[in-house]
Amino acid sequence: MRQPRYTVLLHVVLMVTSLAMVFPLVWVFLTSFKTSQDIIRATPTLLPETWTLENYASLTQTAPFARFFLNSLIISGVSTLFIIVTCSSAGFVFAKYRFRGKNFFMLLVISTILIPLQTYMIPLYLLTRWLGWINTYQGQIFPLIIMSSGIFFLRQNILTIPDELLDAARIDGASEFGVYRQIILPLTVSPLAAISIVNWVYTWSMFIWPLVVANSEDMFTMELGLMYFQRQFITLYGGIMAACVVTLLPVLVVFLMFRTRIIDGIAYTGMKT
Amino acid sequence: MASQGSSVSTPPVRATDPGAPQGAPARRGGGSLRALRKSQLAFLLWIFAPVIALFVIIRVIPIFVILLFSFTNYSITRAFWRWTGLVNFERLIGDNNFLVALWNSTVYVLVAVPAEVLLGLFFAVLLSRRVRFESFYETLYFLPYIIPMVPAAIIWKWIYAPGSFGLANHYLELLGFGRVGWLTNPKIALLAVIGMHVWKNLGFFVIVFLVGLKNVPNDVKEAASIDGASQWAQVLRVELPLLKPIILFGAVMATIWAWSAFTEVYIMTQGTDVSTGTEIAVLVFRIYQEGFRFYNMGYASAISFVLFVISLLFVLVQFWLFRGWKEEGS
Repeated sequence: MRQPRYTVLLHVVLMVTSLAMVFPLVWVFLTSFKTSQDIIRATPTLLPETWTLENYASLTQTAPFARFFLNSLIISGVSTLFIIVTCSSAGFVFAKYRFRGKNFFMLLVISTILIPLQTYMIPLYLLTRWLGWINTYQGQIFPLIIMSSGIFFLRQNILTIPDELLDAARIDGASEFGVYRQIILPLTVSPLAAISIVNWVYTWSMFIWPLVVANSEDMFTMELGLMYFQRQFITLYGGIMAACVVTLLPVLVVFLMFRTRIIDGIAYTGMKT
Repeated sequence: MASQGSSVSTPPVRATDPGAPQGAPARRGGGSLRALRKSQLAFLLWIFAPVIALFVIIRVIPIFVILLFSFTNYSITRAFWRWTGLVNFERLIGDNNFLVALWNSTVYVLVAVPAEVLLGLFFAVLLSRRVRFESFYETLYFLPYIIPMVPAAIIWKWIYAPGSFGLANHYLELLGFGRVGWLTNPKIALLAVIGMHVWKNLGFFVIVFLVGLKNVPNDVKEAASIDGASQWAQVLRVELPLLKPIILFGAVMATIWAWSAFTEVYIMTQGTDVSTGTEIAVLVFRIYQEGFRFYNMGYASAISFVLFVISLLFVLVQFWLFRGWKEEGS
């Protein structure tokens, strides 16, 4: 690969394919700034003839997108706060405690990593219904407060913390809550950040659970609102594109801000809880 | 992962200090609950137990409930329900809608998994050749994976739009080919959706395989190149065999995601009242339809059960992959 000819060829292949990968995203982004006449032209152009913000400005008038956005923020935010506590505490116990039955539960956690929500959403729905949580925030959030892969990931990280450190704190009179707060949490900031970001992206992008549980407009997430919006205003092309951009932009910004963390977190946890 | 104690200095006070009565129960063998300190028991009771209880309620019990319900005619629209034995499963065998969905899901897996793994490997190998701007390419490949599925599917529905309106057809015509009914031709629609699925997930596999390739020890690579192995021989004979566990992991992930695909199929093929496309049913769509549209919870549970058994088979493969997890622990 040292020969320049190979290097050029390599870069050409990488350049063409990677740009092809993001082309649909670039296209939707540019289209969202086009006027409606511009969009339905027989020969579509990449760049807008005249740039306009009209598609974005009219969004909140056609559907309550501000509310959808807020709902998505609440659901993914609360879920992520829960994930931080549940993963770190369970990871701590699985890594550092010794008692009968621990391995059984660890195996149980690992074995649920790959079982997708789609398989057991019917019982979850019935449970939500029984709790009276259909069409509420609680109902949308509670299946998202446990992340099996996150527990396993934190356990693996906490294993590398030396026992001596914990014992030293215990000898100094710290309770287990103290050990957890003063040693485990500060030393797992970076894996916790990784799974928080991954979980936030995952819950923000969630579709099937809100589809099943939320049934009135004021409880819709961005994803759900967007789906119904494109279904109802089927010809409002510019609006649909703008709504798509608004839905994916937060994830995109978070991704570009925390790129390496996200890539590490996803490479180790596999994203889908 | 960081090696033990590399970033954290060992404190001067050791647990073996005779003054510490129950110093380090965490490292003792045996281990009934009695070996734990009082404060550890409190932590187990007040923090760990609720977390595990939630885990069992949310992730474990529902799976057993699925099994239970698949032998009933449970429905939330009926006041009474009863055991129906194997009736649901007998109905499955003769249910054409189910069989079509099962077939579609099978095609989904058979096409998407090899495509994702092979393309992922291809780009990961290219990127692992110490190319300049590596992280730039990496980011571009990864972008489709990170964005939410709903907008991505809507965008692709547009790309696949019929006539010359859609971008795919527009570019086909520029290249001198005829138009294709991407989502309207039943023979193509499923493959078109799978193509979108592969586009969406490819970045994950590129990253995972790239991480794996970078972890191949340098001396192995050097030994191979000293032996005069060509670049391709080095990749095929040295690096890929070492990558086998990670390729398997990737294949398991790809398989599970392909079996449980729903959002993109739902949005691209049945998401509009004025349907432009052919209806494509996959397994999860049948679960959704039977369970939440027709309220046949029992029957939907039976379909879920089939999906669960399929997933379980792949979880078993995953267990086999992770069989070393205990040794690396304490």
